[in-house]
Amino acid sequence: MAVRQAKNYTSSGSPNYDALGLPDVQDPDKVFGDILREDYADYINNFRGYENRLLGMTDDTTLIDRARRNTARQAEIAAGVQKRNLERYGGAGLSAAQIQAQKAAAQRGNALSMTNTVNNARMRQRDINQALLRDLIGIGQGINSSSLAGLATAAQGQSARDSAYKNAKSSYRSGLIGMGTSILAAFAI
Amino acid sequence: MSKPKASQFEAGESEKANASIALAQNNYFDEVYMPKQKEMTEAAFRDEKTLMDTAEGRANADTFIALTENPNRNAVAAVNTQADLASALSDMSLQGTTQGIIGARSDQTNAIKSANKLQADTQTGLSQIAKIENTETLNMAKANLDTSLGYMKGLTNIGKGLAYRKGLNEGKYG
Repeated sequence: MAVRQAKNYTSSGSPNYDALGLPDVQDPDKVFGDILREDYADYINNFRGYENRLLGMTDDTTLIDRARRNTARQAEIAAGVQKRNLERYGGAGLSAAQIQAQKAAAQRGNALSMTNTVNNARMRQRDINQALLRDLIGIGQGINSSSLAGLATAAQGQSARDSAYKNAKSSYRSGLIGMGTSILAAFAI
Repeated sequence: MSKPKASQFEAGESEKANASIALAQNNYFDEVYMPKQKEMTEAAFRDEKTLMDTAEGRANADTFIALTENPNRNAVAAVNTQADLASALSDMSLQGTTQGIIGARSDQTNAIKSANKLQADTQTGLSQIAKIENTETLNMAKANLDTSLGYMKGLTNIGKGLAYRKGLNEGKYG
């Protein structure tokens, strides 16, 4: 069972929470309003720039650009590996014609590889961009629904205040009328 | 009948306490969590290239391990070895870049979701890199290499058999 800590009571008999350093709030409504504005300012200052960057990435081509660059580099790396291995094995007993055939096969392979990789990259890039768009739409829907909820709360508050004001006015008026009629009745007697 | 007084409509003690604690928590969030959230968002956008580089590096390492850890004369002499290596490398590299970019986008959208107080996923972009799978091209290049190694092993076995038979014919084994 949880044991509550002994509190340091003040002379008035209520516990002393000064050590907690809680802020003094006299007008919660104003504080809430200030926090909401501050939150929005924080969001604009800290995150809006990144959000705009993300929104601009739906037509991104990073994957395609990198695939094109990488494929050319990988062809060079593979050629280097083959060259070193041939040297390691003393030419591997290949004739000049065989080496020529190897080179031709590598060239064909590189061309096919470039086409294949860049095509695949295009398809994957499209998938990635579409997925980002879906996520962004989800984020947008969330922002829209929370903004509508905020507006609904404000509108409800306003209409509650309007009807409370009307009620208060009519009850004050009926009170005055009641008082007036009572006075008139007293004179009549 | 008395007119309503403003003091009768002031916030009560519990309401003030509630607001005071909420304000303290909000200040705490601003001091402690907001900088972390900002840091996470900055990192998500800054590390995009790092994630792609890391994933590509891993994919390339996987390819080299599969295709070059056991170089042999037969493989070097084969007509397709270089082309196989190049296409496996670029295919695996694309796989790596893809996982890296998916990881980066996931970090970035999560950061923006959190900033907008929306439900974000807990998976990090780095864990996405672990999902690099061998591509068909690498598997095919590996199969070609295995076949060439298989031929070599087969020829060695035949050679051993012939040598044994020769020895047997010459009466070397009793």
